[in-house]
Amino acid sequence: MASTGSNSSAPAADAATTRADILVALTSHNDARTVGGVVRAVAGGLSQYFGDLSAQVVLADGGSTDATREAAREALGGAGLVELEYPLQPALADVPYHGHPHRARAVRAAFQEAARLEARACVLLDASLNAVEPAWVGRLIGPVLAGRAEFVGAHFVRHVHEGALTKGIVYPVFRALYGVRLRQPASSEFGCSARVAASCLEQDFWETELAPSGIDLWVTTTAVSSGYGVCEAALGPRQAAAREAATDLSTTLAQVVGALFTDLDHRVDIWQRVRGSTPVPLVGEDPDAGSDVRPMAIEGLIESFRLGYRELREIWTWVLPPRAIVELRRLAAAPPEQFRFDDRLWASVIYDFAFGFSQRVMPRSQLLRSLTPLYSGWLASFVQELRHATQAEIEARVERLCQGFEAEKRHLISRWRWPEKLR
Amino acid sequence: MLEQVDRVLREAMNQIVVLTAGFLPGVLVSLVLVLATFVVAAFVRMMLMRGLRGLEFDRWAEQAGVSGLVGWSSSASPTTAVARSAYWIIVVLGLLVSLTALNATMPSRLAFSVFEYVPHLLAALMILVIGAVAARFLARSVLIEAVNMQIQSARLLSLVVKWLVLMVAVAMALDHLGIGRSVLLLAFGITFGGVVFAAALAVGLAARDVVGRAIERQLREPPGGDDRVNHV
Repeated sequence: MASTGSNSSAPAADAATTRADILVALTSHNDARTVGGVVRAVAGGLSQYFGDLSAQVVLADGGSTDATREAAREALGGAGLVELEYPLQPALADVPYHGHPHRARAVRAAFQEAARLEARACVLLDASLNAVEPAWVGRLIGPVLAGRAEFVGAHFVRHVHEGALTKGIVYPVFRALYGVRLRQPASSEFGCSARVAASCLEQDFWETELAPSGIDLWVTTTAVSSGYGVCEAALGPRQAAAREAATDLSTTLAQVVGALFTDLDHRVDIWQRVRGSTPVPLVGEDPDAGSDVRPMAIEGLIESFRLGYRELREIWTWVLPPRAIVELRRLAAAPPEQFRFDDRLWASVIYDFAFGFSQRVMPRSQLLRSLTPLYSGWLASFVQELRHATQAEIEARVERLCQGFEAEKRHLISRWRWPEKLR
Repeated sequence: MLEQVDRVLREAMNQIVVLTAGFLPGVLVSLVLVLATFVVAAFVRMMLMRGLRGLEFDRWAEQAGVSGLVGWSSSASPTTAVARSAYWIIVVLGLLVSLTALNATMPSRLAFSVFEYVPHLLAALMILVIGAVAARFLARSVLIEAVNMQIQSARLLSLVVKWLVLMVAVAMALDHLGIGRSVLLLAFGITFGGVVFAAALAVGLAARDVVGRAIERQLREPPGGDDRVNHV
C-alpha cells in the first residue's frame, strides 16, 4: 500500500483557503445522527470564542455509508466545510473499539491539513459525540493560542465504572511512565499546537497494526515525551453514540492495552529516566457527574476472575512471579464481600504483562486477552469499594492507585534492565 | 601328483590373495568412513548443543509446546534430544554409506532404500512438529477465548481442539510415510465422523433448549450486549 498522507485532494472550497489560525477536524464514520450537532457546536464555539481569528472546519470522514457528509454540510450551511480525502485503511481483522476503522489515517490527514494551512492550533473531535458544548472549542484551543500549553487533553467526568480501563491501566501506567498526570491520555478529543502536530507527523507509528485503535494515545505520548507543555480541558461528561460493530471486552482490552504496551516498548530510554509525577493545569471546572447511572453487577466479574484463575493460571505463570500467583489464589478464594485487589499487586501484574509483551513470551494477542479475567477482578474490587462514592472520593481512590503504580515502577525498570535475572 | 597338489594350492592361494587384495581397499575405505562418521556426528552434536543453547531453544520449545508434547524428561532437554537425534541419524547414515563401500549387494540395496526413505521421514517429522505447534497455539487461543466468554468447560473445549489437530497431524504424517494408508484413513474418518455425530446428537437431544435460548439471545442483543459499559 502506498504511503498515506497525500490527503487534502480537497474540493475547490479549501483550495481557496491558504491559511487559517485554527483548524477544527472532525473524524467521522457513519455518524449521520450526531455529526450535525457536533458541527453546530464547533461553529458556535469558534464564533463565540475566536470570532476575530480565521478558522477552518474540516471533516475527515472514514468511508461512511450513511449520510454523514451530507449532514455535516447541511449543519454548516453548505459553505466553509472542507472534506478531507485520504486513502482508507485496508480491512482490519478486528474493528477498533471506538468503531472508526480509519481513525489513524483521519488524524494524519487532519494534521497534514493543519500544516498546509499553517494553523497555530488544531483541535480534533469525534463526530459520534452526542453532547458537544461550544465551550469545548474554547477550552481545547484557548491554552494553545495563549501559549500556556502545546497539548490540551480532554478531562471528562465519569462514573465509577465508566472508563475503567483508563482509570485502572492507561492513566496509572501513562502517569508513572512519563510523570504527567493527564487523566484521559487516550481520548479522541484534544487540542494541540502546530509543533505537536508536526512532531506527530514525523513519527513512524501511523501505519502500524495497532494505529487505528492506539493513535490517540500515541499522539499524547508524543507530545508529552517530546517535552511540550500540557494541560487539561474540563469537558464534563462524555456522551457518545455507540457505533456499529462494537467490540467485546477482551478485544477492547487487547487493543487499548496493546497500544499502551507498544508505546512503552518504544520509549524505554525516555520513561526509565522519569521519577514521580506532576499535576497539569485544568482549564474550566468539572460539573457533577450526577447519579443517574445503572449500578454495575460485580458478581459476574468476580466469577469471571475465578474462572480465569482456575483455567488461565498456567498461562499467567509465564509472566507473573510465584508471589503474585499466590496472592491471586488468595483473592480467588476470598468471599465476595472481602474481594479486594491490592493496588501494588495490580500494578505489578500490569508491569509484568508489559514485560511479557515486550519479550514476546507468547503470541501478543493471546497474552493481552488472557489479561481480561484479571481486569474483571480488579474492576469488581474497584466498583465494590466505590459503589456509593462521590466524585471526589473516586478521584482520591484513583490517586492512591496511581501512587501504587509509581511505587512499583522500579520493578518495571529492573525487569527491563536485567531481564535474565528476573526471568 | 605332488606337483598337481602344489599347483592347485598355489592357484587357490593366488585367488585368495587376489580376492583379498580386491576386498581390502573397500574394507579400509569402510573403516575410514565409520571413523569419519563418528567424528562428524560428534562435531555436529557439539555444534548443535552450543548453537541451540545460544538461541534459547529450550525456552522456545517450551513456549511452542513441542517439549510438552513429546514429553522430554528432565535429564534430556529439547536441545539435548535434538543434538542426540542428529548424532544418531548421522551415525546410521554413515554406517550405511560405509557398507556400500564394501560392494556388498544386500547392504547396498538396504542403504539406497533407506536413503530414498529419508526425505519422507523428514517431511513427516516436520508435519508432526508443525502440528504440535499449531495444536498448542489453537488450544491456548480457544482456552483464553472460552474463559473470556465465561464458558465453564473451557478446558474441555481446549483439549478437544488440541487432540483434533494432533490427530490430523499424526494421520497426515503416517499417510506421508505410507504406513497403513487405507486403514488409517478409514479409522480417522470413522473417529472424526463419530465425534461430530455424537456431538450433534448430544446438542440436539440433551441441550436443545440451551442452544435455542443462546441463539435467541444472540439474535436479540447486539454484539457485546452484556457489556454496555464504556471501558475506555
